[in-house]
Amino acid sequence: MNAVISVQNLKKSFNNTEVFQDFSISVEQGKITAIFGPNGSGKSTLLNILSGIVAKDGGKFDIDNFNHFEFSYIFQNYRESLLPWRTNFENVALPLEIQNKNKQEIRQRVEELQKLFEFKFNWESYPYELSGGQQQILAFMRALVTKPKVLFIDEPFSALDYENNLRLRGHLQKYFLTFKPTILMITHNIEEAVHLAEKIVVFSQRPTKVLEVIDNPLPYPRTLQSLKIEQFHQVKDRVLSVFQKVTNL
Amino acid sequence: MRKYTFIGPILLILIWAVVAQLQFIDKFFLPGPFTTIKKLFELVVNGGILGDLSSTLGRVLLSFVIALIIGLPLGLFLGRSEKIYRSVEFIIDFFRSTPATALFPLFLLVFGITDISKIAVAAFASMLIIIFNTAYGVMNAKKSRVLAAQIMGATKVQIFRWILFWESLPQTFIGLRSAVSLSLVIIVVTEMFIGTTSGIGRKIIDSQITYEIPTMYATILLAGVVGYLLNLLFLVVEKRFLHWSGK
Repeated sequence: MNAVISVQNLKKSFNNTEVFQDFSISVEQGKITAIFGPNGSGKSTLLNILSGIVAKDGGKFDIDNFNHFEFSYIFQNYRESLLPWRTNFENVALPLEIQNKNKQEIRQRVEELQKLFEFKFNWESYPYELSGGQQQILAFMRALVTKPKVLFIDEPFSALDYENNLRLRGHLQKYFLTFKPTILMITHNIEEAVHLAEKIVVFSQRPTKVLEVIDNPLPYPRTLQSLKIEQFHQVKDRVLSVFQKVTNL
Repeated sequence: MRKYTFIGPILLILIWAVVAQLQFIDKFFLPGPFTTIKKLFELVVNGGILGDLSSTLGRVLLSFVIALIIGLPLGLFLGRSEKIYRSVEFIIDFFRSTPATALFPLFLLVFGITDISKIAVAAFASMLIIIFNTAYGVMNAKKSRVLAAQIMGATKVQIFRWILFWESLPQTFIGLRSAVSLSLVIIVVTEMFIGTTSGIGRKIIDSQITYEIPTMYATILLAGVVGYLLNLLFLVVEKRFLHWSGK
């Protein structure tokens, strides 16, 4: 096992509420890992600590060869992280501009990504003219345009209707299979988790522990067909059983 | 919705006409709207007021530009760090709250009875408004956008240029709009009391003293139109360049 992210004995509390007391986890390289857990179990907090937005209270964590230029994080409130004064194209180009890439290279990268996404944006219009789902896709493209080695996604598909949800899962898989980044994603949707992830981590209630890591050996690419086979349902049932225990439902 | 905007001016003229017609106030002191508008038209056509208008507009423009050149960079700078802003907040708020008119004598002492003292006092007051609004625009920038850029590895300069500056623009524009209005007010008032030979304020006082009442009303009307149009100009520019504001 080749861990690219490792967390040991992490401590974090907010206003005397202990979220992490003695929390440890490791995330394997080149795999999609989904985090599934009850509300308030610190899923977003973990990603925020790992990406340096929120300070830890104690413990250790490490991301191998961490480099801002090879790391992307798609926030849950993606809408507020897009820049309304920039056109759709300029929004996607932002991380490359930050890396001082030249215009030609930026255009080439965006076109490459557009092919992968099979999605035609009106590049000259503005994010506020797009639907919520399209804004989500734009935020995705902005995160992927740098070809990150490590990608964090918080509630990736929450704004999408089921059809576009399935479509974006397809694009994310295609991207994943081409570039093999390490993806750590939070989701509230078991189907999403099992559809995409190779490892599904179930969190306990606060103070949070990793209750179980469920392997999901379904082969990629996972199509709509994969959602119907027996093996898919077995994994999904396991996740649900563990979740049921956590939440006393 | 556009057609509804015309109701306001029509209503104003109507009320004015009715009040003047009913002669609650002596006709000599309150001429009707049509007499006044005719007078204004005359003054514009025969050029009797154009010199005053251009003097006033020139002073307003100059004071506004000075306020902008000093106030905008200063506001951007102060807004970048809440600590720095809080340290000078009192000075800004104190002078912002002091009526600019109370500072005339001081400016007269420093700059003499010249155009410079008029422009300086207007520029000073407008500058404070621009600083205040710009700094708040920067300080109230959405955290999520700054965080996103930080995670992408943006430098402080990049974050300022590509995010904070833009975030501050809507609030900055509110400041610019208030500043130009205030500039006009102060310039007109100083023209009344600080010696000058031309300017809208001068014209109003002169026609009042010589009982050329229609001219006085016509000039007041002109001052109102100028103020309104300046505000409108800023709104149009704002709508054009800040199409994304609030979205």
